[in-house]
Amino acid sequence: MNLKVLPAKKSMKFLALLLTSLLIASVSAAVYYSLDMTSTITVAANDIYFTLGPDNATASVSIFNDNKSATLGLSAYKNITMTYDDAIRVRNNNTGSSHNVRLRSVSLTGNAANFIYINFTLQTSTKVSLNYTSDGSSWTTPSTTSFVSLSASTEYAIVIETKANATATTGQSATIEIAIDVEL
Amino acid sequence: MASALLPEFFALLGIDLFLMLSLLTCLLDDRMPKALPYIYQMAALAGFGHILVSKNFFTVFGDYMRFWYCFIYLLVSLANIVAVSVYFGVAKKQWTIAKFWSGAVTFPSILISIFFVANYGFLQGMSFPLFLQIALVLSAIIMGTSVAIFLSPEVLRNRSGRKRR
Repeated sequence: MNLKVLPAKKSMKFLALLLTSLLIASVSAAVYYSLDMTSTITVAANDIYFTLGPDNATASVSIFNDNKSATLGLSAYKNITMTYDDAIRVRNNNTGSSHNVRLRSVSLTGNAANFIYINFTLQTSTKVSLNYTSDGSSWTTPSTTSFVSLSASTEYAIVIETKANATATTGQSATIEIAIDVEL
Repeated sequence: MASALLPEFFALLGIDLFLMLSLLTCLLDDRMPKALPYIYQMAALAGFGHILVSKNFFTVFGDYMRFWYCFIYLLVSLANIVAVSVYFGVAKKQWTIAKFWSGAVTFPSILISIFFVANYGFLQGMSFPLFLQIALVLSAIIMGTSVAIFLSPEVLRNRSGRKRR
């Protein structure tokens, strides 16, 4: 076979086959590319969630939303530091791997004149805390903490400390919302 | 992270091999049946349909099933490449073309296919021991050289000459 002396009929046949080949190859590749872009998202159970600590009754802890949300009813006494040692815990339920988490302030409402501080500390090996402090007229909202590691199948308590101002009005309250960001 | 190879990649590879076969058999149509290039085009088109079905039933078919029907399609295309090589060597007795075909088409196609299948297995978390990898490379080299040697008319002539003596 000599390409230089290919008859016209054969050239036309080859050209037609080449064109259809290019068409089939490119369309197939395009379909494969669109397949490659198809993602399958599987609903998974969350590894990190809240659990009740032994002091949960003291802090009126209520856990809901598949253990992903919790509310606490805390007290602050005038000029006395009140500590909730183990009211609520954060659990890493993954048996094989650790996860990194951090504490993040979401919102704060309430009269700053009534409080001195409200502090949330996660008892990991490197402790991280959100410390809301008041100078008597305004709150200082803490910045987001750094990530700390939660070991596999381990629970960590969140220690909460409150202190009300000596001149606080009894019955006044503050509402704080914090979030725990999980790095997977 | 490396993006995972989809099982449909083997179908895509099979389509390309069929298209290559179609063009090469068109160039060699004085030595091959005239309808063969068109049959291979149809086979490639069937492979395209294959991928389309996979796309539409992506969630219905599991990974296991998708791998096997795409892999079988690839095997069919490889079998056709080997068959053309055997056709030249055995049926037509055109050793030079058979040797050229084995070295330039059959051997690289099989090697590329083995590479991608091994890569797919690796990405799927399949353990692929080092001795198996070495064995694979060695067997590929031995296969390539032995195909070239056995299809060499001089070697065959010498062997048959020795037997006659």
